[in-house]
Amino acid sequence: MISERLKKVILAKLKLDEFDIHDVTLANEIPGWDSLNHISIIIAVEKEYNIRFKMPEVLKLKNIGELQKLVDSKIST
Amino acid sequence: MIINGGKKNLLWERWLTHSKDFPHKDAIVHWSATGEPFRWSFKSLLDASVYIAVYLRENGIKEGDVCAIIIRHNKFFYPLYMAVCAIGAIPSVLAYPNTRLHPEKFRSSLKGMSQKSGLDWIFTERELEDAIAPLVFHEKSTIRGLHFPLEHAEKYSAHNCDHDALFQAIEQIRLSFSDTMPLLLQHSSGTTGLQKGVVLSNKAIGEHVDNYCSSLKATQTDRVVSWLPLYHDMGLIAAFHLPLAFGMTSIQIDPFEWVLYPAILLEVIDKEKPTLSWLPNFSFNMMADKIHEDDIDTFDFSSIRMLINCSEPVRADSHEMFYKRFAKYGLSNDALTACYAMAETTYAATQSTPGARAKELTVDRESLSAGIVKMPLINRDSRVCVSSGLPINGCEIKIIDEGDKELGDDFVGEILIKSNSMFDGYRNSPEKTAEVLKGDWYYSGDFGFRHDNEYYVIGRKKDIIIVAGKNIYPEDIEDAVGKIEGVSPGRVVAFGIFKEEIGTEQICVIAETSLDESARKILRTKIIEAGMELSVTITQIHLVEPRWLIKSSSGKPSRKANKERILIGGDK
Repeated sequence: MISERLKKVILAKLKLDEFDIHDVTLANEIPGWDSLNHISIIIAVEKEYNIRFKMPEVLKLKNIGELQKLVDSKIST
Repeated sequence: MIINGGKKNLLWERWLTHSKDFPHKDAIVHWSATGEPFRWSFKSLLDASVYIAVYLRENGIKEGDVCAIIIRHNKFFYPLYMAVCAIGAIPSVLAYPNTRLHPEKFRSSLKGMSQKSGLDWIFTERELEDAIAPLVFHEKSTIRGLHFPLEHAEKYSAHNCDHDALFQAIEQIRLSFSDTMPLLLQHSSGTTGLQKGVVLSNKAIGEHVDNYCSSLKATQTDRVVSWLPLYHDMGLIAAFHLPLAFGMTSIQIDPFEWVLYPAILLEVIDKEKPTLSWLPNFSFNMMADKIHEDDIDTFDFSSIRMLINCSEPVRADSHEMFYKRFAKYGLSNDALTACYAMAETTYAATQSTPGARAKELTVDRESLSAGIVKMPLINRDSRVCVSSGLPINGCEIKIIDEGDKELGDDFVGEILIKSNSMFDGYRNSPEKTAEVLKGDWYYSGDFGFRHDNEYYVIGRKKDIIIVAGKNIYPEDIEDAVGKIEGVSPGRVVAFGIFKEEIGTEQICVIAETSLDESARKILRTKIIEAGMELSVTITQIHLVEPRWLIKSSSGKPSRKANKERILIGGDK
């Protein structure tokens, strides 16, 4: 399940008031999320949680649920 | 350097020569972030191409057939493309649709392209079969068949092939080939199916490679690195055809991987020691701004002798921020160069001098708007223009006014190019060709000026929007947004606004609506989604009251006037 905190970071970065984000939501299904600002959103998530992603981790992400799991695994260590 | 002069100035003959002269040298290094890179030597690449070429012939593909190639980053893309060339068919690389592009939009774009350009065959991946198959069986379709050549290519094994027999079969087919034959077809951007197909001959590309390499002071020890998609002229000509025809190594990065993780390019520079790379302006900003220090802290970029900024207006700020960020990793200030290029002249028309940073010229902004280049006086608003350099060999350039009169130095006008690598016209579009090709001169639609023999490109005549090197037609966006319920029909304009922090344009839409504030929130999301279906991101949306938009003399809303209105006063 996508946490309110992660959802808030994503929506704020995309300047969206509201959008339903679920585990299976793909990044490019979220209005405004495109290849050009993908890296900015990833950086915003890193900053929010004070964590760092590695290249293979970012490239393997298939949907927002996997991003949530990756965030959870980073903050638990 | 002419490798094969005269009648046999065919790219295939050059590739063949390289495969004999340095069979074990890397031709293509197919890079993947998640695995080991795959290395095609000049010989292994040609052997695999011949294997696929014979398969294509066996499947009915013949000389002159247009073969659209729609596949993702795959190590067999290169021999497949070369195989199409080997049998005299015409490859046309098209963008693989991303998941946000609506299948119906993709199909309609492909259908329009096939009717306009006369696509004969589609080479793609099994995943797109359902999306494309209906086009093939449509009664008015020009498309004769759908093939999945990667499935055959993946069975290739150098040890189980009689390459001599395969080469002989191909040579028989090629006996009547000449260098004036079309080699490839490139399509402009757009989503309406009205994309123009640029036809380039063997001769045009071969001569362009020789002339441009001379301007670059290139040698066969140069190595090119690229993350650019191969459906884009900069990716296909500069980063694929040029090194392959000249005998350099080209390192190809997956464009999707680069946009997700731009540091990958720097990792490749550190490991593979390339010397040349072509990049659109936005990528200088993106890499300077979005890469973590600890991802690259031990890297060395000193191998790079030229980073060539092209495909978007070149910005001095972008060069400066990139240099400041990466100088400590060995990046030379002199490596920051620029060129001016277009598919119609094969690729480059000008190139700034190797071994020196592209010149910058600070001019008075108001005078520039009036078409005159003047140095700014103190306290006057100024603009820094970056030189795209001198015409390359085989190219002439002139600047003209609206009455077709040639202008001298420091006057702004339309840029015209005469090139011995000129395209053979837009395929099946003599009227479109005649609009831009008058006599020997190509009317670029770009505005610029000459100063001290160098050319500066400062804007464009048409309303085209360039986002991250990709051309977008405002009409496509206006049509899509105009169909949304709540938007007044025909009362929409779309245009680009340059954003310094990202080094490229963003798309802005102004739409008239009589909806109230709460309904406008939903409408905004629908407008963004309409853009997503076209595979573009609409970043700024202004919803305005009916009759807000200023009309042009033709009665349609004016993009220019409404852009100025929004920039000056907002949407009130």
